[in-house]
Amino acid sequence: MPSDALIEKLVGDLRPVRRLSVPRGLAILAVVGAGELAVWLACGMVRPDFARTAVWPTTWWKLAGPALVALAGAAAMVRSLSPDRSARPGLRVMAGLIGVVLAAALLLVALTPADTLLLQRIDPGYGIVCVARMAALSVPMLVATALLARDGAPADPDATALAGGVGSACWGAFVFAFACPIDDPVYLGIWYAIGCLVTALGGRCLIGRLARW
Amino acid sequence: MSGDDEWGRLMAAGQDGHGGAYRRLLEELRRWLFGFFVRRLPPGVIDDAVQDTLIAIHEKRHTYDRDRPFKPWLVAVARYKWIDRLRSLSRTPTELLDEEVAVEGHESAVMSATVLDQLLSELKPAQQTVIRLVKLEGYSIEEASARTGQSSSLVKVNIHRGLARMAALVERHAHAE
Repeated sequence: MPSDALIEKLVGDLRPVRRLSVPRGLAILAVVGAGELAVWLACGMVRPDFARTAVWPTTWWKLAGPALVALAGAAAMVRSLSPDRSARPGLRVMAGLIGVVLAAALLLVALTPADTLLLQRIDPGYGIVCVARMAALSVPMLVATALLARDGAPADPDATALAGGVGSACWGAFVFAFACPIDDPVYLGIWYAIGCLVTALGGRCLIGRLARW
Repeated sequence: MSGDDEWGRLMAAGQDGHGGAYRRLLEELRRWLFGFFVRRLPPGVIDDAVQDTLIAIHEKRHTYDRDRPFKPWLVAVARYKWIDRLRSLSRTPTELLDEEVAVEGHESAVMSATVLDQLLSELKPAQQTVIRLVKLEGYSIEEASARTGQSSSLVKVNIHRGLARMAALVERHAHAE
């Protein structure tokens, strides 16, 4: 068995600690998210006709869909920072939410008259710009999530990283949605999904590395 | 008050910086961890696993929620370090056990390693045999090769794959719970 010297060393190193609870973790993420959103809005990044479009179903989809998945991701990630709790139940909830959001996108596509060519509706040139902006806007949440994961002790780092990556990516999409000038559900369904997927994969890799202990 | 409640109370005191309670907790956990790992790991790596886990408990003590039972938290940390150790063994298949460790009481340790036996039984016979020979009984790769008829490279591959599969089995079981 390890010698008493190790125990003496650990006892000698003992300091009072601030516990990493679920409410505290969520509060940290909420402060980061609210701060980023406040800065984004204060910089005048909201689309000029936002008041008029705010009642449109596509605007609701753009805002509510990513926000719900981001909240579920944050909850699943923070919950799993203690080794005796897994992120997997939260991931199942997120998968269900993503399914509902994608189904809602399909419904919006079906209800929207298609009077232009599909390629024009998808608009790949601007779509790539959207993806880059969503990725950039997910960085603050990604960094906060990664630091929390590093501080915690997730017993299933891959699941924690996936929840954190998807949650951060969706938060970036939510913040971007205030500025997004496009309302075509085909465009939104494709490029928001790609933006979230790309950022989530990057986030999963980053958080996965930092979450090991 | 059960032992689990008592450990939770001692850990809560440790989180607040009380050295006496924390020392008592670590001493009791050291014995518990030894019992945990002796049934799950080859004898030569048990001390290292206990040491790693005690350090992890110390470094991650802020993640223990004092409103919840302590034992599930402890078991989760120990299991994580167990999987870690199995992975590390699979990355270094040629590492030999200390000769003294391999001889001294290895038989009883192997006999008591019920969890390890269960895991080994899930592997292919060729993998089981070489892991038992090299990791539990202290044979060299060459000796294991001569005894089994497998080439040295195949012995290494079988050890690596077998240990990796064991780690995956433990992980899958942990996630299913």
